[in-house]
Amino acid sequence: MDPVLIKLAIGGVAVLGCIGLFFGIGLALAAHKFAVEANPKVEEVLEVLAGAQ
Amino acid sequence: MKIPGRKYLFLGILVIIAIFFIGGCKSEHRFVKKTSFQGADKIVIEFAGPVDKTWAENQSNYTVCEKPDPDIRLKLQQVTVSGDKKSVALTFADPLNKSRPHVVTVNNISSEGKSLGTAILNVKKFYLGYLFSILIGAMIINNFVFTKYLGLCVFFGTSQKKSTAVGMGITFTLVIVVSAMMSWFIYQFVLQPYRLDFLQIVVFIGLVSLSVQAVDTVLRKVNPLLFKAFGVYLVLVIANCIIIAVPLILADNEYNAWESLMLSLGAGLGFLIALFLMSSVRERLELANVPPTYRGLPIAFVVAGLFALAFLGFSGMSIF
Repeated sequence: MDPVLIKLAIGGVAVLGCIGLFFGIGLALAAHKFAVEANPKVEEVLEVLAGAQ
Repeated sequence: MKIPGRKYLFLGILVIIAIFFIGGCKSEHRFVKKTSFQGADKIVIEFAGPVDKTWAENQSNYTVCEKPDPDIRLKLQQVTVSGDKKSVALTFADPLNKSRPHVVTVNNISSEGKSLGTAILNVKKFYLGYLFSILIGAMIINNFVFTKYLGLCVFFGTSQKKSTAVGMGITFTLVIVVSAMMSWFIYQFVLQPYRLDFLQIVVFIGLVSLSVQAVDTVLRKVNPLLFKAFGVYLVLVIANCIIIAVPLILADNEYNAWESLMLSLGAGLGFLIALFLMSSVRERLELANVPPTYRGLPIAFVVAGLFALAFLGFSGMSIF
């Protein structure tokens, strides 16, 4: 195969991987920073209730 | 925990301004400073240094066409070089259509005997009126819902009540502006330099879901009431076709940062207008005496068709 094409493909994978990694880490940090403390009791109470409606 | 919101806002605004400066200063060739229209039939190219007069006056060194029609060359009448040899004025036989961007190809720029390569330049009208016309065009004249029939699933899904429709429209505007600006940045500074334009759809979809996820995460913490009011519609934004159409249009037309901002803002506000109009009609339809077969979605489609007909009245309109 044409080496130019192989270079392009590998470059594409590398660039997209870098973009993905960058934004993934960014999102993870944001999720950590803006984490909402969920009260575990809310879920327990909901489970005990009948919950038809 | 107290969130130092003002500091982050300030930082964010700084970053956005920096991006716009990069976008505004982007030049297509390092030796060309500025290109602009002048009068009815002139294009002026300003160079960073003096160019050779014999080279500059040779008309075969310039090819000019309108961007949408690259095979129709415009007829050059005269080339005049200014006194300090730093700018060249191209005069054409016919008046130029200035509402369209023009592409000027300058062959083998020659300065003081040195060849500086070929430059492909985009000449555009750059002033506020042009940006405003992009905004109004995307918002009303080429409304994405009523003239291009995009984003219909979300449009019909969330236009039953006025309050959800307006909430959806505002969220949508926010998300589309953020994701379109990110897509523009990635396209201009990552995809194009590495010649990966063919991956644009994959990248744009990723960026859209990223911005939706980011808005979701931040809103959940910062304003839980608003988050609850939006409910499932926030996630539904990902499944909207307008939000992927806008970055593709930006990439296709090679818009700069300001034009991209205006187009995405126009698309978002246009969707908001469409949702508001539709929800006001559908709230009244609830009380109307509609034949049973037409109740619900069918009559909504008929109404949307009538709206589209009404919006056809704007077509062909041009501002400035």
